[in-house]
Amino acid sequence: MNSLLEQAPLLAPLALGILAVWMLLPREGNRAWIIAGLCGVSALLWLTKNFLPPTDNVVQTGMFYAFAAGAVLSGVMMITESNPVYAALWFAMVTLSVCGLFLINAAPFLAATTVIVYAGAIVVTFLFVIMLAQQGGATGYDRKAFQPTLASIAGFMLLACLMFTLQEFGGKAIAVEEGEDPRMPRPQFILPPATVMANPLSQPMPRKDKPDQNDLGTLQGVGRSLFGDYLFAVELAGTVLLIATIGTIALAPRRSQGTL
Amino acid sequence: MNEWLQNPLIMTGVAIGVALGGILTTCAYLILLERKLSAWMQDRLGPNRVGPLGLLQPLADGAKLMLKEDIIPGHVNKFLFVLGPAISVFTTMLAFAVVPFGPVSHEKGQFPFVIAPGVDLGIVFIFAVTSLAVYSIILGGWASNNKYSALGSLRASAQVVSYEIPLGMSVVGLALLHSSMSLEKILTQQAEMGFLGWNIWYQPVACLIFFTAALAESNRLPFDLTECEQELVGGFHTEYSAMKWAMFFLGEYTHVITISFLTSVLFFGGWHFPFIAEAASAYPGAWVVKVAVLLFKVSCMIVLIQMLRWTIPRFRFDQLMSLAWKGLIPMATANVLIVMCVLEFNLPRIWLFPLSVALFVAVGLIGTQASLPAGGATVRRKKVTAPVVAAAHH
Repeated sequence: MNSLLEQAPLLAPLALGILAVWMLLPREGNRAWIIAGLCGVSALLWLTKNFLPPTDNVVQTGMFYAFAAGAVLSGVMMITESNPVYAALWFAMVTLSVCGLFLINAAPFLAATTVIVYAGAIVVTFLFVIMLAQQGGATGYDRKAFQPTLASIAGFMLLACLMFTLQEFGGKAIAVEEGEDPRMPRPQFILPPATVMANPLSQPMPRKDKPDQNDLGTLQGVGRSLFGDYLFAVELAGTVLLIATIGTIALAPRRSQGTL
Repeated sequence: MNEWLQNPLIMTGVAIGVALGGILTTCAYLILLERKLSAWMQDRLGPNRVGPLGLLQPLADGAKLMLKEDIIPGHVNKFLFVLGPAISVFTTMLAFAVVPFGPVSHEKGQFPFVIAPGVDLGIVFIFAVTSLAVYSIILGGWASNNKYSALGSLRASAQVVSYEIPLGMSVVGLALLHSSMSLEKILTQQAEMGFLGWNIWYQPVACLIFFTAALAESNRLPFDLTECEQELVGGFHTEYSAMKWAMFFLGEYTHVITISFLTSVLFFGGWHFPFIAEAASAYPGAWVVKVAVLLFKVSCMIVLIQMLRWTIPRFRFDQLMSLAWKGLIPMATANVLIVMCVLEFNLPRIWLFPLSVALFVAVGLIGTQASLPAGGATVRRKKVTAPVVAAAHH
């Protein structure tokens, strides 16, 4: 019990945030928008103290907060929206905000591909299906959340585990290792594991066209890492996708069977 | 004076101003050009009342659109209804940020000829941004709360998601050949290799796929199933009027300009032209010639796109899907495979030309043969007569 109390600065704002989400989940009757909004905002402000952005550049910090807040708020709006079309649009906003975070962390290729795949294709497909399925408007049981309490508790436990891991094995562990005050904000969030040999091909190398800069985050760097260190994973993912495609074609009814 | 020009914001601002002004003016005159070309192809006169030869028609049109009553129907979802056209203009304009419109310069204090110079992603960025443009049609159509509009936006979502795949795969071959996705680098490498370095000699099929898929993404004829006047009244823009309607078309024409720029830059050597605009040419005023050459190529592409409008009739929806999934995507995959083989076995690059032509012929043959009913005309006749026979029995 003591160790749980020690974690109060982490768990209390989380519980507040989850309470806000629980109050906002779609249900019959009115939802307490103002109380829930106040709870959510205070939880976010409380938590920002624990997880400061890893930089002292004002512009970058501002952008980090803008994109991070955008991602969290859009995520909350996505799960609390009772209209599925709006929920899909909020999902697109979550994706775009996360892509903004990728961009300020020097991963433009990841950002662009995420926009193409998620915002440009998957959410569009969601909208396609929703518009096809909801011609006559949503039915009653679509308008309220299924098991809001259990879902909130599960979400709370998942988030608590995630944040605890980040806090204990991230910035705090690095600080303890380097003999510094663990409460101070740290430039590096996650400690690279010392026991695992670093991926040799994913290390930054001098750029071909500009030898004074390294190619971290450029297309060449990403390509070398993907098709060097992670070749098997990439090939495996490609094979799985191919199998899925073949499976879809096999499952789809033939024209001769009369459905298409 | 010079120090003042060193500030990166100044030249970027000037570039944005030039690009935006150029695009808006061009869009206005593209509509006039389109109407004149249509008239010419249909043996009519076209607009000729406003100003000499009808040249002031765009101004009159603009004034009309601005002054028209801006109606928001009562049954629409207001926020999304207004958001739709805004997304259309915003995304297509944003895509233009990495398109070079002249000899790109990275020197401080010189006009850069591209709004965001040195973007490593180049073409991937354009695909990412333009893939968001479909939201304008989907949201506009859905928010209109009208069956015709909703059908139009449903078609748009299926069409755009399908054609994004061949669009992306058509430039993979270029990325392999130039080991870069940056538009500036692809342009410079072509210019340095001279007339025979233009990518059209190595990737003719990729050029065709890219052009077709990009045209489909812009929702223009023959791919304008989202509007489709005969079936859907006006499709996604049935409920729109005045400036909001015009913004959809501003987006569409900007898309056409971007496609034309991209095709010229990626496949036709950009500003390069033998003898008058080589990579080494440094005579005074060379940049004027280079910009003129690029703009000439772009105008040719735009005229081609507008003439296609009255040349190829609109596709049926199943034809549209078959073209993407059964035609363009396998062709693009085979094209990437050919490029990989040529590079892997160190064959001379000019081998890509006959191989691409062979691929095109093979796909054409397979495509036309597969669409015929098995066994030829006899089976088709049987199918037609069958219901008649069945009716006679009753």
